[in-house]
Amino acid sequence: MTVIELLTALENSALAHAISKTDHLVAAGLQIIHVLGLIFFLASLVLISLRAIGWALADHSIADVARDTSRLLWIGLGLTVLSGTLMFIATPRLYYFNWAFGAKMALLAVAVLVQATLFRRVANAEAPTPAFARASIGLSVACWFGVAMAGRMIGFV
Amino acid sequence: MTTLLTLAEQIESSAIGVAIAESRYAYPIFEGVHLIGLAVSVGLIFITDLRLMGLVLKRTSVASVLSHLRPYVIGGFIATFVSGGLLFWSSALRMLESPAFVFKLVFIALAGINALVFELKIVPRHAAALAAPLPRSFAYAGVASLSLWTLTIVCGRLIPYLPAWS
Repeated sequence: MTVIELLTALENSALAHAISKTDHLVAAGLQIIHVLGLIFFLASLVLISLRAIGWALADHSIADVARDTSRLLWIGLGLTVLSGTLMFIATPRLYYFNWAFGAKMALLAVAVLVQATLFRRVANAEAPTPAFARASIGLSVACWFGVAMAGRMIGFV
Repeated sequence: MTTLLTLAEQIESSAIGVAIAESRYAYPIFEGVHLIGLAVSVGLIFITDLRLMGLVLKRTSVASVLSHLRPYVIGGFIATFVSGGLLFWSSALRMLESPAFVFKLVFIALAGINALVFELKIVPRHAAALAAPLPRSFAYAGVASLSLWTLTIVCGRLIPYLPAWS
């Protein structure tokens, strides 16, 4: 089975029909959830990042700020991934052939990798080296902003 | 109303408006900057609102959250306003004809008034309580802000989905 056949099968599935063949406001609703989830995720990430490089809430430990914000971060990420997956299932071939979508997925893969390695090391450290913290956080935030930018461009390219 | 639409038409057909609309990448890039800017500004406001409601960052005082996040909220807003202004420049007529856009502006104005009342009236009155158990008015201000900004985002995202005024 080629990728195209797989995507076509996905597009003809009952779930895809349920999303795309109903009122167009269902798609709008998914877009709204996607944006709101992204806002909660990105803002939580930015807050932890600002603390990790000592630009905000420096009177609290990095671990405290990360712990206090992590639930919001996961809720935001969950909403974004769920709504995004449903949007993809509804019109998979449209996304597959869109270069901005490809760029978004590539950046997403890098962002997740940076998150799991560098970012985690900084967030778990009591007092990371400032240079290492700044480089890791800068790379992480740049990747996630890139994901948002490429994602927003999908509808226009 | 007609003068407003004529003005919008003039804005849209100005050199900059046409340049943005005709460029292949300007419009989508401004859309991206708008999204990132609002994720920082409105996102940090959402976190502040949840703090006012006593739901997150309970270890951190409200005073500390407000003062530490303010520069980034303002920075995010500048990016959002500038990119939003440029997007409007190239599509002023379509925007004024969209009920979702007009409602979005109304909700931004209400959210702004709510923030001003909170910062200028409510916070000074409860200066001593900023660390201790929060007065109920803080939670109300947080709920109002969270609701108004959510409505702003919903309306903004609905602009391409809803029909023009009939």
